[in-house]
Amino acid sequence: MSSVPDFKRKAAQYHLKRYGVGLLFMLPWIIGFCVFVAIPIGWSMFMSLHKVAVVPGGFKYTWLGLQNYRDAFLKDNVFPIELITYFQEMILMVPIIVIFALLISLLLNQQFPGRFVYRALFFLPVIFATGQVLSELFTQGAGDIPFLDQYNLEPVVRQYVGGELAKTVMEVLGRVVLILWYSGVQILIFIAGFQTISPSIYEAVRIDGASPWESFWKITLPASVPFISLNVLYTIIDLFTFPLNPVLKHIKDNMFKVDTGYGYASALAWIYFGFIFVLLALVTGLFSRSMRLKGGRP
Amino acid sequence: MNTEPWVQRARNYATSFLWSRKAQKYKMVMLGRNLSDGLLAKMVIYVLLSIVAYLYLQPLLYMISTMLKTVSDLLDPSVKWIPRVVTWENLTKAYKGLQYPEALRNTALIALSCSIVQVLICSMTGYALARLAVPFKGLITALVLLTFLIPPQVIIIPLYVIFSKLGLLNTLFVFLVPAIFGQGLKGALFILIFRQFFRAQPPSLEEAAKLDGASAARLYFRIMLPLAQSACLVVFLFSFIWYWNMYYEPSMFLAKGFTPLSIRLDQLEDVLNPSLLGSKDLVSNPVTEGTKMGAAFLIILPPLVIFMFLQRWFITGIERTGIVE
Repeated sequence: MSSVPDFKRKAAQYHLKRYGVGLLFMLPWIIGFCVFVAIPIGWSMFMSLHKVAVVPGGFKYTWLGLQNYRDAFLKDNVFPIELITYFQEMILMVPIIVIFALLISLLLNQQFPGRFVYRALFFLPVIFATGQVLSELFTQGAGDIPFLDQYNLEPVVRQYVGGELAKTVMEVLGRVVLILWYSGVQILIFIAGFQTISPSIYEAVRIDGASPWESFWKITLPASVPFISLNVLYTIIDLFTFPLNPVLKHIKDNMFKVDTGYGYASALAWIYFGFIFVLLALVTGLFSRSMRLKGGRP
Repeated sequence: MNTEPWVQRARNYATSFLWSRKAQKYKMVMLGRNLSDGLLAKMVIYVLLSIVAYLYLQPLLYMISTMLKTVSDLLDPSVKWIPRVVTWENLTKAYKGLQYPEALRNTALIALSCSIVQVLICSMTGYALARLAVPFKGLITALVLLTFLIPPQVIIIPLYVIFSKLGLLNTLFVFLVPAIFGQGLKGALFILIFRQFFRAQPPSLEEAAKLDGASAARLYFRIMLPLAQSACLVVFLFSFIWYWNMYYEPSMFLAKGFTPLSIRLDQLEDVLNPSLLGSKDLVSNPVTEGTKMGAAFLIILPPLVIFMFLQRWFITGIERTGIVE
């Protein structure tokens, strides 16, 4: 008959055996998460509730409560406007990128000689569409579509869109090519996604007399809803770190200002993250609902 | 119908031709059985793709053409794409301004070491999440997703303090150490890719190896990792490219001394014109424009060459990895 401590030891041994290997494999990540993610997150939240001043040998914290968050909307006359403008741009950019990626990947998915060359071409921007090279191209004004100036589209946009929004539309159009450069990964995801639709479905539909046009709307598009949602999410996340994002620049500027400092900058970053998070949650909710309604794949 | 006999003959000939086997064959070639089979559809696809590809690659062409222009060509509005005189001066200037060999070595060192480590660690983590028994697996997966979503700006200041306490700033280890602990650049994405990949593998392989008495480590390194070759290649290349191009993190952690190419490109304006120091606006300066484009070209050249050699495996690898399941 085993006593209680013995039983406990056996249970511990069992758990160790069961979880030991898995924990060993996860160990680097768990340590890394604690040191490089969890502590910084907590610290940054702590900072955002304080006024942080740099003194020799460390920081000096003064408790402010939610003052920083309040200031971001009430006192700061740049941040809310930039946030709104950026979200307007994002709402324009995400559909542009995803629809462009969908169309191009539909074309690239066809069988034709030289397909590999074109696939490589459209993936090329992923190699350098991040970071400094991209913003260098932005500042030099490369990347607008040539017919924008040639046909003088600005008044047309102004007439149909009107008001403040026209400015945003023009800004997005002015660098549309570089924005499209963000669609390399999305194109790949779509192409890989199309491979999962079985060709026999197309064959069956064709025998039933459906035109290619119909088979696109009735089969390809519904089957790629999960990939569209994946791409929308990926695009939103990717655009967080868009190199010319005004919000991020504002946060960085505030970090090194004496009167605002790290505390305020952290608060701004958290507000920004909050907005993005809400947006992501909305998109996820929307897509999962539409998928459930159609009875598509989970 | 009182038509001329030759019209009648021509009509007869036309109808007989239209129904002949030859004509059917032509029609087959032009239009195809499917929409995408025919020659006509192929032409349309080629033309569409070529136009879009031209628009798409225009900034790259702009970069190369600007790089080869002299200053007078740059200021001359009548010179658009093809420079009057091809000059290599911009490239040599950029080469010197970037201190290319040293910066290239730094960048390559960071990108290579970190991406190799990332492949190893992320695949291990992904494998554990996919196949091994780990307590609170759901919670951990959610946390992995969270690390993917948190913008770096939120945690950059505490990270800076932590790195400076550990004495890692301005060294290679400021990127290598987080990579070793699974928190490298976009590490969460790679973990999820590997998790997806390992989940799609049949479990019978592992069972067979376990029956033969293989230990977990042996099972992983001898069977699972070699199996994941295509996923490893994809992750390695993505990680390499992202480390190569990253700008925000090194601008905080590697500001002086051990600087990669992207930081030097940012500082190039100051190196070229020390007199303009501090007045750095977003207005582009036509005198240094060509040199900057040359520098940008020098930066993207090595990954471009690598991609040219590996693109075939890369793209099929992505299709096969099942990232999208």
